[in-house]
Amino acid sequence: MLQIRNLTSVFPTDSGMIKAVNGVDFHLKQGQIVGLVGESGCGKSATMLSILRLLPHPGKIIQGEVLFEGEDLLKKPLSEMRKIRGRKISMIFQDPMTTLNPVFKVGEQIRESMVIHGFFKKDGWNGFDFFRRRRKRKEIDKVISLMEEVGIPSADLRYYDYPHQFSGGMQQRALIAIALACNPRVILADEPTTALDVTIQAQILDLLRRINEEHGTGIILVTHDLGVAAEFCHEIAVMYAGRIVERSKTDDIIEDPKHPYTQGLLKSIPRIVKHKQKLYVIPGSVPDLLQMPPGCAFAPRCVYAIKKCKEKNVPLTEIEEGRYVRCINYI
Amino acid sequence: MKGIKILERILLAIPIMLGIAIIIFFFMRLTPGDPVDIMMGKAGMVSKAEIANLRKEFNLDKPLHIQLFLFLKGLLKFDLGKSFTKGMPVMELIKETLPATIELALFAMMFALIIAIPVGVISAVKQNSWIDRFAMAGSFFGISMPHFWLAIVAILIFSVKLNLLPTQGRISYGVELAHITGLYVFDSIVTGNLEALIDTLKHIILPAVSLGSAMAAIVARVMRSSMLEVLRQDYIVLARAKGLPEWLVITKHAVKNALIPTITVVGLQMGVLLGGNMIIETVFGWPGIGRMVVNAIFARDYPLVQGVVMFYAFVYITANLIVDIIYTVVNPKIQL
Amino acid sequence: MARLQEKVLTSNFNFKESPFKIKYRKYLHAAVDILSRLKKYPLAFVGLIVLVVYFLMAVFAPFLCPHDPAESNISIRLKPPIFLGGDWSNPLGTDSIGRDLLSRIIYGSRVSLLIGVITVSISVVVGSSLGAVAGYFHGRFDALLSRLADLLLAFPFLIFTIGAMAFMGPGFWNLIIALSFKSWVEFYRLVRGEMLSEKNKEYVEAAKALGQNDFTIILSEIMPNIFHSILVLATLRLGYLIVAEASLSFLGLGVPPEIPAWGSMIQSGKNHMMNAFWISTLPGMALVVLVLSINLLGEGLRDILDPRLRID
Repeated sequence: MLQIRNLTSVFPTDSGMIKAVNGVDFHLKQGQIVGLVGESGCGKSATMLSILRLLPHPGKIIQGEVLFEGEDLLKKPLSEMRKIRGRKISMIFQDPMTTLNPVFKVGEQIRESMVIHGFFKKDGWNGFDFFRRRRKRKEIDKVISLMEEVGIPSADLRYYDYPHQFSGGMQQRALIAIALACNPRVILADEPTTALDVTIQAQILDLLRRINEEHGTGIILVTHDLGVAAEFCHEIAVMYAGRIVERSKTDDIIEDPKHPYTQGLLKSIPRIVKHKQKLYVIPGSVPDLLQMPPGCAFAPRCVYAIKKCKEKNVPLTEIEEGRYVRCINYI
Repeated sequence: MKGIKILERILLAIPIMLGIAIIIFFFMRLTPGDPVDIMMGKAGMVSKAEIANLRKEFNLDKPLHIQLFLFLKGLLKFDLGKSFTKGMPVMELIKETLPATIELALFAMMFALIIAIPVGVISAVKQNSWIDRFAMAGSFFGISMPHFWLAIVAILIFSVKLNLLPTQGRISYGVELAHITGLYVFDSIVTGNLEALIDTLKHIILPAVSLGSAMAAIVARVMRSSMLEVLRQDYIVLARAKGLPEWLVITKHAVKNALIPTITVVGLQMGVLLGGNMIIETVFGWPGIGRMVVNAIFARDYPLVQGVVMFYAFVYITANLIVDIIYTVVNPKIQL
Repeated sequence: MARLQEKVLTSNFNFKESPFKIKYRKYLHAAVDILSRLKKYPLAFVGLIVLVVYFLMAVFAPFLCPHDPAESNISIRLKPPIFLGGDWSNPLGTDSIGRDLLSRIIYGSRVSLLIGVITVSISVVVGSSLGAVAGYFHGRFDALLSRLADLLLAFPFLIFTIGAMAFMGPGFWNLIIALSFKSWVEFYRLVRGEMLSEKNKEYVEAAKALGQNDFTIILSEIMPNIFHSILVLATLRLGYLIVAEASLSFLGLGVPPEIPAWGSMIQSGKNHMMNAFWISTLPGMALVVLVLSINLLGEGLRDILDPRLRID
């Protein structure tokens, strides 16, 4: 349904081009949940923003395709794009505190999403505005039932609250309601739980899973936590320094990670064990995106790196049915 | 809850007013000798009995703390004393000249805000474009230009060279206008007097623009920088991700947030407006409070000067109070 | 510039030097550093140069002036400047009683700069020392001063100054007193605020642990760190105070009329705008150029040193 091909986005800076997204390939099937996993700064969020063409200035997409229902979003005029944003593909952001507009009531912000996409017109509104008050009442009722659906208690009162009166978890639920307002086909969830408490994280993920099951909405979940992705996603794509290094079914990745970076990530997930065990740390640090090594970006930190790794970059290759790895050791 | 906050602000303004009254009172005592001496010294040929009488009339014969007490007591009754030169209560004189000043200040402020807010918004949206650079260079000039200099240049260009606009007063001699509120533009609209309307508008353009441009310059800058700040926020990305057209993102989601810090600056700029008003009224022969007080200074009419300065301080504090209240109402984050 | 900076920065640092010398060197470092960073702000650099030119003009006024600024000659009154058909004996023309305008403008820079600089210096010294003490000790003294500061801030600047001048009468020192009376508050608030946040930092704790007394800590530990904020504010205030002085002189409330000041020159030219507009426009230009360049410098310094400091 959503297919991303060779997507490359750059941020020009004074000291050179930063390739935040570097030839990313993956796809999301109808009703599927795909996890996009990687350390912070590896280009996960930039990928999401590129899909909706919302990269902040001066970032821009320089090549690739984003195919949605057979059409390339990158080639669409902006006016068409706006009809897709929020309507067909919507997004949930990382930090709910700063993502809701502080000067508007929460309910109004949810209603706005529906209004701009003409979502109420279907309910017998014929374009004449004779019964404005009654119509608005109906709209508000609809928003309130949506707020209830995402688990905001006493939604009829909370409709009129401002964002700062909401707790972090409630704010994230309100944002999910905004994303869900027009019953989109795809939700891009950009680290939706990072800013929240652990207990609330689980609730939000449950909510997203329910939405996925009940509405058949496809979800791309961006997270830095491989554990969360393993629990929640059907497929996982691991990103490193702007590139996808491994992609396959969740079980395959968890049980038999191929790429050394994925292996490292898996080892560094803290587990509850009896004996105190030192946490595994991948040696070295993320490369400077301005000075990318010519070969594999992970080579300087890789325990299996051979001389060739540093010379040539290999493409993402299918090594088994549905398993893609970008590593010279498997070719 | 907001009501309590507002009430608190109002109550806080009272001690400040009191403090200002005391400062003004003591400043007046800084003059070497007492005001009656100085005033009469110039006139000469005044009998000692007359001076003593005057002293008594202005309570200068009583001890200092009694004088202060009487002064403050008068203020409570809105009694600002009596003018030496005009022999009228200061309050009456202020009432007489107030409409002219209000009209000028209103037009200056309207000019400033109508220009500055769109300019600030456009500059921020088109950051670093030539429009932005031009607007910011203009506002830099606006900030650095003294009021009186702008007034002089405006007179030179529009009156002396182009002979387009009048330079003195509020209305031409011979133009009839019924006085209802004393705001000439308003009066001429209400009475349907087109001739007077055009004439008063012609008179008010130069003073209002010279007075308002400093405010416009600063408000434009503040608006620009707060817009730039707001446009970086996540909720702007969300608004775009919702599929809102760009103009709605700017005018609805961004501007309302950016206006909040701007409101505070408008309040602070009221002080500049009031101070500039003295100068502009003097230059343009505008019969308002500012010109009256400057004349009073040269006539050494101390009660009038004291009363008007007191009045200015009162207006400034009230204006800031109003701005504070607007801020409280507009900003949903202030709740308790 | 870079070489000079290198030289200053690499000169061997001797711990046995007197504290005064160390302090002095700290400021020298800062000054050289600021100058070298100003290069990236060409407009601010131009502002600095123009300001220096004005200062030189003010200092060497007697050598630069073709005429005595007070000497009037009715026979050559309202003479136009050279570019409007005048001659070289009065390059910028003469005023309504035949005084040489160029000489008066040059002398006028003395009034503007002297009053501006003296007032700023008084405000910096009074405001920062009170602010430092209030912020550092943060006791009853602070509460009292802060109330006073709030009170003074409740007055619009120009109205306060005009009121004060009305009661004191025109005069050079009266003007300085009237301007300083409110101007110190800005510095007080700045330094007090910085003090409050600096005094809890580690280096202050360290100095305390070493047993230094409070005044040494304020003067040689904290002050050098907030020096740049004071410098930025002082520059921006200088421009504002020069405008205020000119405005007061324009109203006839500034320096006595016998001293040539730009404000009063503009005022006197106002009545001759029809036939001799240069009498008011030329001093006005001198004023505007000076204020513009000071503000350019001030904003450049702010961008370099203290981007969060914004006064409006």
